[in-house]
Amino acid sequence: MRIELDRPRCEGHGLCEEAAPKLMHLDDDGELVIDVPEVDGLNLVAAEAAVRVCPVAALRLAA
Amino acid sequence: MAVPTESDIDIWDDNILVDPYPTYAALREQADVVYLPKNDLYVLTRYDIIRDALGDPESFSSTSIGFNPMVNEALQGTSLASDPPVHTQLRATLSENLTPRALRGLKVVIDEKADKRVAELAASGSFEAIDSLARAFPIEIVADLIGFQGHVKDNMLRWGQAAMQVLGPLNQRTQENFPIAGELYGWCSSVTAEDLTPGSIGRGIFDAETRGDIPQGTAGHIIHQYLGAGVDTTIASIGNIIALFGHHPEQFKLVRENPALVPAAFAEVLRYWAPIHVWGRKATRDVEIDGVTIPAGAQVGILFGAGNRDPRHYENPDTFDVLRNPVDHLAFGYGPHGCAGQGLAKLEAHAIIEALARRVESLTISDEVRVPSNMTRSFDELQVVKVVAA
Ligand code: HEM
Ligand code: SF4
Repeated sequence: MRIELDRPRCEGHGLCEEAAPKLMHLDDDGELVIDVPEVDGLNLVAAEAAVRVCPVAALRLAA
Repeated sequence: MAVPTESDIDIWDDNILVDPYPTYAALREQADVVYLPKNDLYVLTRYDIIRDALGDPESFSSTSIGFNPMVNEALQGTSLASDPPVHTQLRATLSENLTPRALRGLKVVIDEKADKRVAELAASGSFEAIDSLARAFPIEIVADLIGFQGHVKDNMLRWGQAAMQVLGPLNQRTQENFPIAGELYGWCSSVTAEDLTPGSIGRGIFDAETRGDIPQGTAGHIIHQYLGAGVDTTIASIGNIIALFGHHPEQFKLVRENPALVPAAFAEVLRYWAPIHVWGRKATRDVEIDGVTIPAGAQVGILFGAGNRDPRHYENPDTFDVLRNPVDHLAFGYGPHGCAGQGLAKLEAHAIIEALARRVESLTISDEVRVPSNMTRSFDELQVVKVVAA
């Protein structure tokens, strides 16, 4: 699965990074960077958690 | 398809507003969706359903977030009351100054102010927590942020409370508050850059309007929403922090011993006592939920507090547990309209909890006073009869 970010909607709340620090991080300007876009196995579980906690629904998983 | 089951309650009954949790539990056990004939309202009661509805603006429109036609009319054109694609545009302007990125520079000042206030209160032996902390602190922060001065600052509490009350049905509370909300509305329509402190975010919003970055006439709207949405709710949550630590000294002790728990503690305060009781949507089409139909055009009521205590989602939901870290609670809403000010609310509340953990060894509260209110559930008075400084 692939992590997709709706960039205009992302406001940098950073909860996704807390849920999946190995897959994404906020850079020095507070912009979200997806470090590992293609995920499976344990990374997929972490990615699902990140998608779930984003308070503005800016992240999704696509096949 | 079946029609939803009904309940005879009035969701704005004084007793329910003061203590809604038994009612939330009964409605939640009854069904996902319950129709309340007294309010002509379909309430959503369970966690998953609420989250799905908040994430689905095509089926659940924000044109009816309030529960009387006058207020919904007055809110037309604001981010709060619009749907995508218009909402997407308005939201971008509205949230630009409120993102964690934009607020980064404020953290130091907010932390200092919280520490000073809490240190003084901790040294005083006893204090009334609502006026001296829950109200005074967010009003100071938001006033500085937007650049309010003079009589406006003095009116922030009244205006903020009224802006929430008038979202209710046409009951006595709503009627009494319309004139006060009108003062706020009037002031926001006539405010100019010069009324706001140079260098403030409020000034910045006007500068953006002058530059043409945002449409003419929107600056007042934006300021209106910061005040309307951001004052009464934050006040409620800070009062709730003090009360819950007072009721659960062992939980406060956990936070004192491990300040890394501060964000989790605030999320749990919001989950356990959601500041907003009920919030509106309108069904844009016949929506089927679990075999029953909400008819097109119906007024829907979202019970954040009911979803936050749903045992289908949270284990032991009626236990206040600072170790839980419920990051997906519903008190800030969710999805496209998810609270635009949550970064600021968290900055303020985390600063208060950190200061309490640092400055206070223990606090003892006496009976709290709640006054029924249409939308926000908060304390009107809360005596800390004894505080021991750390
Ligand atoms: C603990 C404090 C707060 C709580 C519980 C809270 C709760 C909420 C909720 C539930 C919504 C969603 C409304 C909907 O779905 O229609 C919302 C939206 C909003 N909040 Fe907050 N809020 C808080 C603090 C703040 C602060 C401090 C500000 C700003 C200064 C603010 C500004 C807004 C705005 C502008 C919206 C509308 C966003 C939109 O329509 O896109 N809130 N808030
Ligand atoms: S949680 Fe959502 S809004 Fe926040 S940084 Fe991640 S994607 Fe962006």
